[in-house]
Amino acid sequence: MHRPLRVTSVATVLLGALALTACSSGGEAAAGSGGESADAGGTLVVYTNSNGDGRGEWITEQATEAGFDIEIVGLGGADLANRVVAEKNNPVGDVVFGLNNMYFETLKAEEAIAPYTPAWSGEVDEQAGDAEDGAYWPLVEQAIVTVYDSADDSIDVPDDVSKLWTDDSYAGRYEVNTALGQATPQLVLAGLLAEHTDEGEDLGVTEDGWEQVEAYFANGTPAEEGTDLYARFARDEMDFGTIPSSGITSRDAEYGTTTGILVPENGVPYVTEQIAVIEGTKRQDQAQEFIDWFGSADVQGAFAAEFSAYPVNEAAREQALPEVIERMESLPKQEIDWTLTREHIGEWVEKTELEYLP
Amino acid sequence: MSNSSLRSMVRSPLVVVVTLVLLWFVATFLVFPNVNLLVGTFFPDGRFSGGAVEKLLSSERAMNSLWHSFLLAATLAVTVNVVGIFIVLVTEYFAIRGARLLWLGYATTLIYGGIVLAAGYNFIYGRYGFITNAVRNVFPDVDPNWFSGYFAVVVVMTFATTTNHMLFLGSSLAKIDYQTIEAARSMGASTVRILWRIVLPALRPMIFAVTVLTFLTGLGALTAPLVLGGQDFQTIAPIILTFSRSTGSRDLAALLAILLGVATIILLALMNRVEKSGVYFSVAKVATPLKKQPIRNPLANALVHVAAYALFVVYAAPVLLIVLFSFLESTAILTGTITWDAFTLDNYATVFGSTAVLRPFVVSVVYSALASLIAVVGLLFVARILQKHRNPLSTLIEYLLHIPWILPTILIALALLQTFDRPNALVGGNVLTGTTVLLLVAYVVVKIPFTLRLLKASFASVPESLEDAARILGAPALYTLRTVLFPLVVPTAAAITALNFNSLLDDYDAAVFLYHPLYQPLGIAIKASTEGENNLDSMSITFVYTVLLMIIMGLTMYLVYGRSRVSPSRRRRRRSGVSVPDRTAEVLVAADPQRPPVRSST
Repeated sequence: MHRPLRVTSVATVLLGALALTACSSGGEAAAGSGGESADAGGTLVVYTNSNGDGRGEWITEQATEAGFDIEIVGLGGADLANRVVAEKNNPVGDVVFGLNNMYFETLKAEEAIAPYTPAWSGEVDEQAGDAEDGAYWPLVEQAIVTVYDSADDSIDVPDDVSKLWTDDSYAGRYEVNTALGQATPQLVLAGLLAEHTDEGEDLGVTEDGWEQVEAYFANGTPAEEGTDLYARFARDEMDFGTIPSSGITSRDAEYGTTTGILVPENGVPYVTEQIAVIEGTKRQDQAQEFIDWFGSADVQGAFAAEFSAYPVNEAAREQALPEVIERMESLPKQEIDWTLTREHIGEWVEKTELEYLP
Repeated sequence: MSNSSLRSMVRSPLVVVVTLVLLWFVATFLVFPNVNLLVGTFFPDGRFSGGAVEKLLSSERAMNSLWHSFLLAATLAVTVNVVGIFIVLVTEYFAIRGARLLWLGYATTLIYGGIVLAAGYNFIYGRYGFITNAVRNVFPDVDPNWFSGYFAVVVVMTFATTTNHMLFLGSSLAKIDYQTIEAARSMGASTVRILWRIVLPALRPMIFAVTVLTFLTGLGALTAPLVLGGQDFQTIAPIILTFSRSTGSRDLAALLAILLGVATIILLALMNRVEKSGVYFSVAKVATPLKKQPIRNPLANALVHVAAYALFVVYAAPVLLIVLFSFLESTAILTGTITWDAFTLDNYATVFGSTAVLRPFVVSVVYSALASLIAVVGLLFVARILQKHRNPLSTLIEYLLHIPWILPTILIALALLQTFDRPNALVGGNVLTGTTVLLLVAYVVVKIPFTLRLLKASFASVPESLEDAARILGAPALYTLRTVLFPLVVPTAAAITALNFNSLLDDYDAAVFLYHPLYQPLGIAIKASTEGENNLDSMSITFVYTVLLMIIMGLTMYLVYGRSRVSPSRRRRRRSGVSVPDRTAEVLVAADPQRPPVRSST
């Protein structure tokens, strides 16, 4: 009968309840931050972009068993890097891992990470991480590969990948990922341009390089938001596409495909996920202990076995799945000038985005 | 005149307090951080870098996408109004059989959107959609790609964005003075003429407000063009998003965003001008509730019925499909081979099986509720002041409050993060980065323009005589606001609160930078559970989360707004009892012998 009155009372109750909840959460947060400054204890905040596929839960579980109290903050690669840089005056996270070397190079340049040499530094190839300063250290590797379903006889497999965009018979039959804000498409771009770099040229790339990029995007079909490449294989909409090598096994199982890989003479781009301590953390000792633990041969080996990853740690590699080892060993590493790539990738993405994307 | 308005502003203590708080808020959270960010972006070394303009002008893709965005916005401003006004009329104005069922069908856009909506339409009408398949079985020559490009995007977005019409135009319509309609009818005016000369003009302030919102939605269109636009119809929003995430290209993102923002502000200024030039007192001044109008021409009646139910099917189908799909294996959905075996509860098991699934829901509900309540309650005062006192200061504040419309959420979040990472005198020397407060601030900030526009439009339809009468009788300003004015805008305010709440619930863009590690909101949790190179069920899990969100949002709409939408006969019975504010208004206005007693809110 008195609707406005009733709305007010409902609103009051609601508001009151919320205010209480908010107070309690605010209180906890305040207590938490108070504790931090007092004894540098409390939860270790681990930033990562590698928490998908249940990895975040797995790591939290294993870390708890090992006596760590961690909280995983999982964000997309570009967002995570932006967040770490934006927070550098008052860091919230303590450790960051999973980003590739290009992102870590940015973090290093912005002085957002602190150098630390982990206990397992002798077990990894220095070249895979930051060989110069040792600011960040490598964990797992994967290759960015062009795949097709080798069980599908109707596909005419080219002898060289570049035929996809130079030969008209493949027009529209391969998927190009146009989300250049993400890591994988950026590496594809870096791989395309790697053979055509020249310090003297504008943006460090020759005209030939840009012609490749133009043809690559003009001849391909853009990826569809929310539709997996293999689903497009299954409905015969697409013949080829690019994915990180770690995604192959699960897709073959799900879609009943037998993945074939187009291996160019110069090899395929490799990407290495890294780990580092965040500069200015209040829990530096804990952060370093966590890194020592997480990068150790045991943990990396178990991680590799669980998630078909390919660890950089040589002692851990033995525990990786045999098919993963076999696949990775068959894929030659493309020579990429990472210093030049890091310097220019932002400009390359911008130019491609503005001029070459369909 | 403006001077006297300024002076009258200073005279009222309430206005002074609200203005001071407002000025602090605008300076601290809207102007300072964003100016900070923009200066850093456009003057990287202390000098202006104009390279961005040149780069954009020479990019065919950017120019095309920009043009597409404007084209889409302009098209939607027309199509959404046509469909939106139609659905409001068939549910609220005309006597249509099953109007309540129709309303529920049309209201489905309240509870879902984004990628899920676009995907839903794609699964029905797209290349592998079942309508396309069915049609092609009969007519094999039909182009399987018929539902893509400009046409498809316009269709999907037209149906997806009638939400504001449903809520706000609907509540304005209910306030129309029914006696004018009856008078017109008794003078022999036709149904169309009454609609055209009486009903629509009375709705004009609200139509303007929702048109601006629609235009803005069109400019910012993101997922529908990505999923359905194909190669020929891509818009500018994805480019802006990519560029805002890259430090080196942020100037391009900011420039593009400002361009879109300025276009919106120009439209807003035009609408403000038109709004000022007319007087729209659409509140009924007599106690006759609106009666549903029968359509007397039988043919027209049949046609309207058919159109209304056809629209109902279009609206309801994607929702049913999403619920259905949440029980299907991903492979089955994506490859379009749905069999009985493909039905599974695994998707739900995955979502509920993960540890602490409930917590992100609670966190997001608390954040969204607090933010939407703060925004609406605060802006109730602000909107009234801006609407009543028109002077240079209030105009300036009003335009500043629209800053969040100009910049993408990502940039606003980054600006807040970088501004409050050191002790700041504006917030009492505190550091806000890394606290739970900053995300709340961001949520309030991004909801300001939407809330303000609609509240202002709602106040615009309140006759000034009501307030005059209260003042003459000696009611204090706050009392008048509380007992006379607020009850008139409460339905709109409640609807805005609910909409804001719903839209913040699965936010990702602000949360990604601002959330406190121990309080993970839902948007981040959804992203985490749908991402991963080996996560092949991401689409199904998205559907599950959508279904869960639909339940929460549906509940919200019911609690906050829907309960007043009981069937008209019940509503009328309930109204016959005089509520407290009703009586206040009647008593107040009865003191003015010139005016008939005033009926208050619906």
